[in-house]
Formats: sequence, structure tokens, C-alpha cells
Amino acid sequence: MTSIIAFGGVCIVVAVFGIFAFIFSEVVPLFGKARVEKTATVQFPVTADGLTGLDEWSQLPFHYDGQRTLRFQPVQPSINQPSQVTLPLPDAVTVTSRRFDPEHNRLILGLSDGQVAIYQVKYASSADATGSTVVKGSVSSERLLPLPPGQPLQSVDYKDAGDRKLVAVVQGQGASAKLLVASLRQSRSLLGAGQVKIGESIDLTAKLEGQHPEHVLIPGTADSVIVETDRHEIFYLFLKNSAWELRQRFRPFPGESSPLAGIDLLLGDVSLVTWSDAGDLRIFSLFVPPGETTRLFGQTKSFPALPGGILHYLPSQRNKSFAVANDQLLRICHATTEGVRASIKLSFRPVDLAMDAKSEHLALLDNSGVLHLYQVDDPHPEAGFRAFFSRIWYEGSSKPKHEWQSTSGTDDFEPKLSLTPLIIGSLKGTLYALLFAVPIALLAAVFVAQFMHPDVKKVVKPVMEIMASLPSVVLGFLAALWLAPLIETRVPSVIAIVILIPLISALIGFGWSLLPVRHRNLLPKGSEYGVLIPIVILIAWGGWHLGPILERVFFVTDAPDGSKIADFRLWWPQFTGTPYDQRNCLVVGFMMGFAVIPIIFTISEDSLSNVPPSIISASEALGASRWQVVRTVVLPVASAGIFSALMIGFGRAVGETMIVVMATGNTAIMDTNGRLIFGEFGLGHGQFPLADHWDIFNGMRTLSANIAVELPEAAVHSTHYRTLFLGAMVLFLMTFSLNTAAELLRQRLREKFRIG
Amino acid sequence: MSSLPKYRQQTRGEIQVWLCAAGLACGLLMIGGLLLLILANGATVFWPKPITECTVRAQDGTESKISGEVVKTQLRRTAEGGTKTEIQLFTGNKDAYGLGFRFIDRESITSETQPEDLILAERMEYGDAIFRPVQLKRKDGSTLPATDPRFHQTLQDLVREGNHLRDRILSLEKGRIGKINARIKATELRIKELQTDGKPQAATEISRLRNRITAEQKKFDGLIQESRQLRAQLDDAELVCRLSSGEERTVKTGNIVFFFEPNRLSLGQKIWVFLRRVTEFATSEPREANTEGGIFPAIFGTFVMTILLALLVTPFGVIAAIYLREYASQGLLVRVVRICVNNLAGVPSIVFGVFGLGFFVYGMGSFIDGGAKVPLPPVWWLAAAIGFIVCLTVSLLLAVQSPTPGGESARPRGFASRLKPLVATLAVALGVVTLFQCPYFHGFFSSSLPTPTFGTGGILWASLTLALMTLPVVIVATEEALAAVPRGVREAALACGASKWQTIQRVVLPSALPGVMTGVILAMARGAGEVAPLMITGVVKLAPSLPLDLDAPYIHAERKFMHLGFHIYDLGFQSPDSEAAKPMVFATTLLLILLVVVLNLAAISLRTHLRRKYQASAF
Repeated sequence: MTSIIAFGGVCIVVAVFGIFAFIFSEVVPLFGKARVEKTATVQFPVTADGLTGLDEWSQLPFHYDGQRTLRFQPVQPSINQPSQVTLPLPDAVTVTSRRFDPEHNRLILGLSDGQVAIYQVKYASSADATGSTVVKGSVSSERLLPLPPGQPLQSVDYKDAGDRKLVAVVQGQGASAKLLVASLRQSRSLLGAGQVKIGESIDLTAKLEGQHPEHVLIPGTADSVIVETDRHEIFYLFLKNSAWELRQRFRPFPGESSPLAGIDLLLGDVSLVTWSDAGDLRIFSLFVPPGETTRLFGQTKSFPALPGGILHYLPSQRNKSFAVANDQLLRICHATTEGVRASIKLSFRPVDLAMDAKSEHLALLDNSGVLHLYQVDDPHPEAGFRAFFSRIWYEGSSKPKHEWQSTSGTDDFEPKLSLTPLIIGSLKGTLYALLFAVPIALLAAVFVAQFMHPDVKKVVKPVMEIMASLPSVVLGFLAALWLAPLIETRVPSVIAIVILIPLISALIGFGWSLLPVRHRNLLPKGSEYGVLIPIVILIAWGGWHLGPILERVFFVTDAPDGSKIADFRLWWPQFTGTPYDQRNCLVVGFMMGFAVIPIIFTISEDSLSNVPPSIISASEALGASRWQVVRTVVLPVASAGIFSALMIGFGRAVGETMIVVMATGNTAIMDTNGRLIFGEFGLGHGQFPLADHWDIFNGMRTLSANIAVELPEAAVHSTHYRTLFLGAMVLFLMTFSLNTAAELLRQRLREKFRIG
Repeated sequence: MSSLPKYRQQTRGEIQVWLCAAGLACGLLMIGGLLLLILANGATVFWPKPITECTVRAQDGTESKISGEVVKTQLRRTAEGGTKTEIQLFTGNKDAYGLGFRFIDRESITSETQPEDLILAERMEYGDAIFRPVQLKRKDGSTLPATDPRFHQTLQDLVREGNHLRDRILSLEKGRIGKINARIKATELRIKELQTDGKPQAATEISRLRNRITAEQKKFDGLIQESRQLRAQLDDAELVCRLSSGEERTVKTGNIVFFFEPNRLSLGQKIWVFLRRVTEFATSEPREANTEGGIFPAIFGTFVMTILLALLVTPFGVIAAIYLREYASQGLLVRVVRICVNNLAGVPSIVFGVFGLGFFVYGMGSFIDGGAKVPLPPVWWLAAAIGFIVCLTVSLLLAVQSPTPGGESARPRGFASRLKPLVATLAVALGVVTLFQCPYFHGFFSSSLPTPTFGTGGILWASLTLALMTLPVVIVATEEALAAVPRGVREAALACGASKWQTIQRVVLPSALPGVMTGVILAMARGAGEVAPLMITGVVKLAPSLPLDLDAPYIHAERKFMHLGFHIYDLGFQSPDSEAAKPMVFATTLLLILLVVVLNLAAISLRTHLRRKYQASAF
């Protein structure tokens, strides 16, 4: 029996610590690098500049020889069949430029007679009798765009954004190069989409201010073109009200030492990746710079140079990762975190890269026609210390920020996973809760422990303890549906009450001490609180009605029509520049106070009561008044206990969930400007425009509330899921270490007085 | 100042004393105010309030009438900066007015009356209705005007009949139809299993099962027909009524749950209405997105979860406490363990929820459903299993070899006893690996995958999570109770020749029982009020079936459940009409607080009882 108990006991103790181990094990993969492994090779015919692409299942890569032949070659010949397609190009033309759009598997070819041919590589999959996936590849001819005949095309791009389709080409070479764009129009009728007609082509060479175009790109919105010129500058041309205007020209690599070598887009098409001859890589994103009204490119990231320069670039179709390669090295990077995910030495010279739609496989075609297939295992590229704790310059924002926005509706969304605003939110709520709770709890504890009659104490203490077990969902509900609307218009009243209660109590105390002793003896010592209860009610009532008067005197703002309005809700934003929310920190602090006061009270009362009576008696015998005893003897002796009470109260407030979820406006609430402060509840659309400051009249989101709201929707073992686990681990560590410190302090104190 | 009055010197610091008193007064007022607020709002929800009919003059001078319960009177700021008094009226008739509540400026009300002929009817749909009856219309064309003396009784009978019919439909749908559904589903699963097995004799079995499904389906259709007929009976009679605004509407009597004339009630009748509404609240199912009807499933869910939690936490907590207090050598390690266990109580509940979701739901749950996701290769698994058995044997041997007489005063006995926890930990770890990465186990519910059975939130996982969260409470309370058992009692038992376990079992544990119970009750109180971890481990806003019922296997540990605390959250924050839900939230809150306070009071009184007992037996 003994051994069974012992074994069971050990098991339970181990299991309890297993919690931390489990959470830790869920978090660890977030900090891992990408694993890249070579899995297979496929032999294609040798061509000087082949182009390659992969299907979704990485079973049937294709190879385009640069002219008219496109081959599909299976990775496992036992399952899939090789096939070959001849592209139906017009006779007597050659392909002079090409671009492969991996998002739509679209092959865009610029021809020697100035036309553009567009093909789409299509894959279809089915399961065969044995259950393995059979993939079939085919090529469909999308369209041939008859641009005005001219010189061979040097660069070509085409984008289809639904209603708007745009083609852009660079015709000719060197000084005679011309930049042409043409819109495509699709007539729509009741019977569906009709014929696509190419509009008139517009020559934009003049917009380049004397420079000659070399390379052209079209973002996915098909409303602008990005042009690289022979003088290593980038021109950003925008189609506004059917007229082209030059939005911006810039030089990504100023200085002559390292000229621009190439440009391309990142998934989502709002970031431009540029690299120099020396292998430096810089990313420029579209955002509205301060003082401007339109979105312009600005440098947001830079990556360490790839020694030997960058010859090949390939964006991922799943996230903001991209691969770059030259003759010796392959590197996989993640744009958001500016991190190098993997680096591989190559033993061959690649001529083209390809990646499947899920970014799970990478294919490198070498100059001898061999396609090297790599498996890329990088489940959490957007994670890492940088992502969680430092400022990151996200796409579309005008400066680096700490931000949390885990999910969104679009596929090319950049998850923002900074835990900093959540930690600050937690600390902010805790701060206001403690500001409110600590004075009340400590003063009450001192009174109960030192001044109150022991018989009354036996009743008062359990009452306070019951308050500790009030379900927090109840407090949260009261905070949001009762307190928040109640004090929304009465902030001045709250201010008045907060000031008046201690002031009047102190005044009464002062007046009381002036009374002759025989009058004072009428009130038994230790029952002062009984006198104060009706007085506090009276003050609260008075303060409540004093508020509107104060408001009329102090909190007056100018209305737009010039009249004066006495409304605190308008005065606060005007005076401080920070918004005023109905569900703000004041409400949270007050309600969280209900949860924290009993804890601080109970523990500090215990430590105050445990001060040895002998030293109290000794100081009383020396003639100290009862407050002097408390101040000079009891408080110093019990200080460690009180400190540990504060820390445990802090721990409770930091981890409080329901009050914060309900009282801080996790629900969709519009502020005065109609801006959504927090996203739809439960959909995980939280944004933190307010997280950078500690303003009391704002809402916030805390670590704990964030977990409660978002975890049910997070996919198992996704980055989002693991990041929420990281949040839980931070909370765990924070509270566990605080509580341990408090406990050690208390034990030391206990030993100290046992000796003394 | 050369001559301070004497009394000033004696009472230095009186201001601070009064400040302390003010702090206490504030604290007490806050608790009192909060409880009073909830009590006042929660208890009066079901009390029938008079209905006021107001004549309101609009700005263009036209007058209209509207009636309802006055909910509150408040001041409103006007655009000009002044204030106006307005009343909030619960008007009901959501189907007619669109909203259940209306704010009316006090100034615009020209007259207020409380007519006795107004009826408040609780309906199955669209909430309450407030109206004057006009006539009853039957399907056969006969009518009964409201002025008829038999009118009231007839309406009463019709409503009663409707309630009866609805009960029958419910029992039909939940009982017989539900059973047939469950049988069909089980048979389908069996067919799926047979198909994946691919045995030769399966084909005949499958066709037999298919026939059975067809037969069941026929029965099912018959029952559906029956319930449809019952439903049609509900529409037999209509009540034509006139709202205060003058509009005439019809209400099917089968739609009315309960009705009364609020302005005509005597005190006795009011009490009767109150009790009826309270009973309905406590025993019936929610309607109208939880804003109407009762909360029985939530009460039941909370109850089952709390009991399950107590059943799970008690043995583990007590065993751990006995080990820590009676068996473990009281060295540095045990001290550290004790501090850590204590501090686990301070870890936020949401962290336990996260653990519960990751470990219980996605770990153990999906393992039960479909076996190990990444099983060990057989060789490795065999090695782990052998390692587990070896470690288990060694740790049991070690435990047997070093019995530690004298309980607390045991001292560590060198290397072997230091090794003990290490080997035990290793045994547990290897055991976990052996169990969870077994390559030969493919789950109990693999045929219903990818629909998870245990691999999603459920009452078992929620209870386990909360049990883990409240484990420290039980451990600490039990340890304290064990420590409070006088040494003399133990020594007496040992002197009589009892072994250590006999002493603990027969002497120590019984006298520590009140302390253990205190801990368990406190754990239940904490668990009952906790919501955050439940939100991610299995609570739902509306559960179709209870976790305990009369269908085999009676206890459905995998089912999702409803909970009072989550009900509050859901009603207050996710219901379409939070204003209409407010009374229900307050009532639910009152119930939850009562539950928690009663549990706490029980724990406190047990504790004082325990203290008194040991104070008495000190000598």
C-alpha cells in the first residue's frame, strides 16, 4: 500500500509539472528554422535557359525550353505519365522574353514580332485504384495579344484583376526601348462574360524622364506598372481616372558601387523586392508616408547580402517567404521577420527555381537539365523572437510597429504576431486594478488586523473571503452592462467621489482628534468604520450629484458651431488627444478591484495579524498611540507579507480573463470617429491601434482575453495556435515566478520571527 | 507651539486610523452593494409588475397609446445641453413593434393609467405580448368574444391544452424519434466499419443492416407524421387581440405558454405567478436564442461538471497530499514541490484551459478517437514498453525496500531513496510514451472520423481541466488537515501495532476528513464559477442533449454542455438583443452566486467545525 501511495503521489506531482512541460513543448517549434531536404531528381533535356514549374502535389513538374516545347515529367514514373506539348505560337516568330506567374500558373511570352502570347499550365488530379494521386498536366492557350507590330519584346507582364486586365511590355533594346501598356476590356452581357478586346496601346516611354526601360512589372491590382530603367532607377506609374501618371521614382541602391540587378514582387503585390549586383536585397512596400495622400514605395526591410549576387528569385504563394539563389547558394527568407529561414550550399548551377502552391516543395533546374526536388518543412516562418517582441515594419503601415492581428479574410494577409501590445494590455489593466484595489485592501487589512474587535473580525474576514470567490464572469457582466453605461456620462462624479472619500474621512479623523477625550470615549475604539459607512454612502451620493456641476465648470469644450458643451466625453479627447471609450480601463480597474481586493486583503491581514503581540504590547507600553504602533512596529514587521500580498494580487489581475473580455470592449464597438476599435468578437480580428499608450479611458486586449477569444478558432498546431500557447506560457511564467518569489519571501519572514 | 494640549499627543495618527476605517467601509460597501444589486435585480425579475398605459403626444401633436412595464427612469442629455427625464418601457410585442423596449420622454406623456383588462402573455416565439383580448376564433369558425363570461376559462383551457401538446411533441421528438435516429446512426457506422474491413462475409451482413435501416426509416417517418399532426393541433385556435396602439393582431393559443392580467392580480396571485415563473426558469429549456424560457440545461450542466470535477480531484488531491505529508522525506525537494503546488493555485485559469485544449482535447481526445498520429516504429515501441516495465518494477521495489517509519520524521536514506523520484518520473514518462505512441492501437471511434468524438471539447475534458486547476486547493487543504491530526493519536495507533498505512487509513484520514471536504468544497466553488477555461474546452451556448440521460450508456462524457457562467457571458454579449436578455442574465447571475456562496459558506463552517474539534482534543 505504502509503495502504491508513494508511486501515485509522485505521479501526480510529476503530472502537475507536466503542464509546463507540455505548453513548452507546444511553443518550441515556433523558434525552429526551416528544414530543407533533397528528395528526388528528374531528368529533362538540356537547354540553355529552361523554365520550370511545379504542380500542387509536386508530382509532375514541367519544363519549358524557352521556345515552343513544354514537357511534363513525373517524379515517380510508375504513377504518372510523361507528356509533351507544343505551344501553338505563330510561325516565324521567336520568344524573346517570358514571365511565369506562379499564382495562376500563367506563362507570358513576349515574341520577336512584338506580340504577347499567354498560356496557362493546368493540372488535374484523380485517385487511381491503389489510392495514389494521379496528376495530369495540360496547357491551355489563354490569348494572343496583337500589340502593334514592332521590335522584339525585351520584358513582358500581364495581370488579370477581374474587371481590369493589363498588359505591359518593353519593346526594343537600349536607347530605342519603348514602354507600352494596353488595357483589355471584356464586354459583359446577360449571357455572361463576352469577348476580350485589347484596348489601344499607350506609349509611356515619355513618363520615364529620358531613361530607358529595361524591365516591367504589374501588381495584382492591374492599375499600375513598375519599371526598372537602364540607370538603375525604379519608376512607379499609376493609372488614375484612365490617365497614367508618374507617382514616384527612386533609386533602391544609391551610389554607383552596387547597381540594381533585379526587381520582383512579393505575395500580395504590395512589396517590391529589389536586389543589387553585390547580392544585397531590399524590400520596398507601399504605404502612405506622413504628409502624403497616396501610397508610395518606401524601404521597409533589408537582408544580408547573398555572397556572389542574386541570380534567381522566387516568391512563395502561401506566405511572405521567398527563395533566392545563385551558383553556389540557395537561401529561403521570410520578408516579415527579415529572417533567413534556411541556407543551402549547391553543387550545381541552377537556371530556374519553382515552388509548389503550398510552399512545401522547391525545385531547382540545373544547367544540365536535371531538376532537383527539395522538400521544405517550414511550418512557422512568421514566428520568432523578432516577430513576438520587437517592432516590425508591416506592409501598408507607415512605420515599424508592435501589432497583433492574427487572422484576416485574405490569403495574402501578413499575420501580425507581436505579443508586446498584449503584454502591455495585461499590465495596463493590472496597473489600474491595483491603483484602485491596493489602497482599499491595505487600509482595510490594517484596520481589521489592528484596530477591530476580534469578535467582529471573525465575521468581516469570511465576508471578504467570499468576495474572492465571486465568479469573474459575474463581475465582467456587471462591468460591461451595468457599470460602463452608468459611469459613461458621469466620469466627473467618479472623480469627485474618489477625491472626496479619503478627504472627508481624513477631515473627520482630524475633527475627531480635536474632540475632548470624554466625547471620544463614547465611540468604542475599533468601530469607526461603522460611523463611516453611512458617511461614505452620503459622500457617494453627494459626489454623484456634484459631478455634473463639476463638469459644467471644468470640462467644457468648444462645439463645432462655437458654443460651449460641458461633456467630459468630448473634453477628454480634446484635452489629451486620446479617445474616450465607454468600456475603458476605469471600468476594468474598478471591477478587477473586486477580484483583487479580497486576495490582497486576506494575505496582508494574515501577515499583519501574525506580528507577535509581545512587540506590540512593548511599544504600547512605551506610550505609542495605536497608529504609531502600526506605523513603527507592525507595518515594518509585516512588510514582507504585505509585499507578497501585492505580488499575488498582481498575479491574479494579470491573468484575469472574463472581466477583461467582457469589460474592455472586445465586442465590436465604434468610437466617435466610427473607427472599429476591436474587431468582431470571436472572429479573431483584433487590432491594436491603442496599444502604444497607457491611457485610462481606452480599452485594451490582454494576453488572457486574447487566448480566450482566439484559441477556439485557431487551427491546431498552426503558428497562430502555437503563438497563443506562447502567450499562455508568458502568463504562466509571469504568475508562477511572482507567486514563488512571494512565497519565498513569506517563508523567510516566518523563519525570521521564529528565531526572533 | 510650546503648549500642545495633552489630548493631541495621545492621539497622534487618528487621521490615518480613520482613513483605514474608510478603506474598510469602502470594501464592505462594495461587497454589500454588489450583492444587493444582484439580489435586487435578480430576485425581482419574475415578480409580476404592473403595466402602465401611456398616452404619448408626438411632436406634431398626434397622440398615441403604448403600454408596458416601466423598467427604469433616467436622465438624458439633450443636444442643447440640458437634461430630460425619460422612462424605459418594456412594451413586449416584438413582432409588432420590432423592439421589445422603448424610451419615452416624460414630458411627452399626457396621461398614465393602469387598465385592469390588459393581458401579459408569454409566448413561444417573439417574447412576451401585452394586449387586450378581443375574441377567440376556432378553426371550425366559431368565435367567443372577450366579453363572454366563459372567455377567460376557455382561454386558460386552450393554453393548458397547448402546453400539454407541446410536452407530447417534445417527448416524441426527443424520446422515440431521437432513439430511432441514434439506432440508424449506429447501424450506418457499423456498415462503414464492415466496408473498410472488406471481409467476404461482410456483404450479406451489410445488406441485412441496410434492410434494418429501411425499416427504422419507415418507423421514423410514421413518428414524424404523428408529431406533425400534433403540431397542426396547436394551430387550432387563435386569439384576436388589440394592442394599446390600436393595432389588431392574432396569436395562436398554442403559441402562448402562460398568461395573466398583471393589473388585476392580488398578492396571492402575484406570488403564484412569481413561483410559476421561477419554476419555469429553473426547469425548462431556453428559447429564442436563450433570451427566453428556462436555464435547466445550464443548471444541469454546471451540476454534472462540478460533481465530475469533485470525483476527479478528490482522489488525486488526497493521494498527492498524503504522499507529500506522510511519505515523502521532508527535504529541500519536497519543500520546493510544495511551494510549486501552492503557486499553481495562482496560475491564471486560462493557462489551464490552454493546457486542457492542447493536451486533453487535441492530445488524449484524438488519441481515443483514432489512435496515435505519429506512432513509434514497433521496435522502438517495444523498447519503450520494456523500459517502462523495468522502471515501474524498480520504483516499486525501491518503495517497498525503504519503508519510512514514523511519518514526518523520516530522513532520506542515501542514494536509493534519492533515486526513487527519478525512477518514478522515468516510469511515468515511458508509460506515457508506451501508451500514446502505440502503433497497434487505432482508436475507439475511428469509423466516425473525421468527425471527432472525444477529439473536441466535452464535459469530461472540461471537468479534467478544472480538476487540474483546483488540484492545489485540495492538496493544500488536505495537507493542512493531515498536519492538524495530533501526533499522539498516530503514536497510539502505531503503538497498537498498526502499520503505517493502517494508521493513515483508520485513524489519520477519518479525523482529517472534514479538512479534506473543506478543500473539495472550495475546489467545487472555484470550479463552478470559472468560465474562461471552459470556453475553450467544451462549453457551448446551446447543447442539444444533456451529458447524463436515459439513453445507454447514460453518461455521455464526450458531449458538450451548457454552463451557468457561460450562459451569463453568452446572454450578455452574444445575444441579438442584450437589453431583452438582461433580466435573464441577472437571474442567472443570482443563481450562480447563490451556488458559489453556499458552497463557500459550507466550506467555512466545516473549517470552523474542524478547528473547534481539534482545539477540544488538544489535551
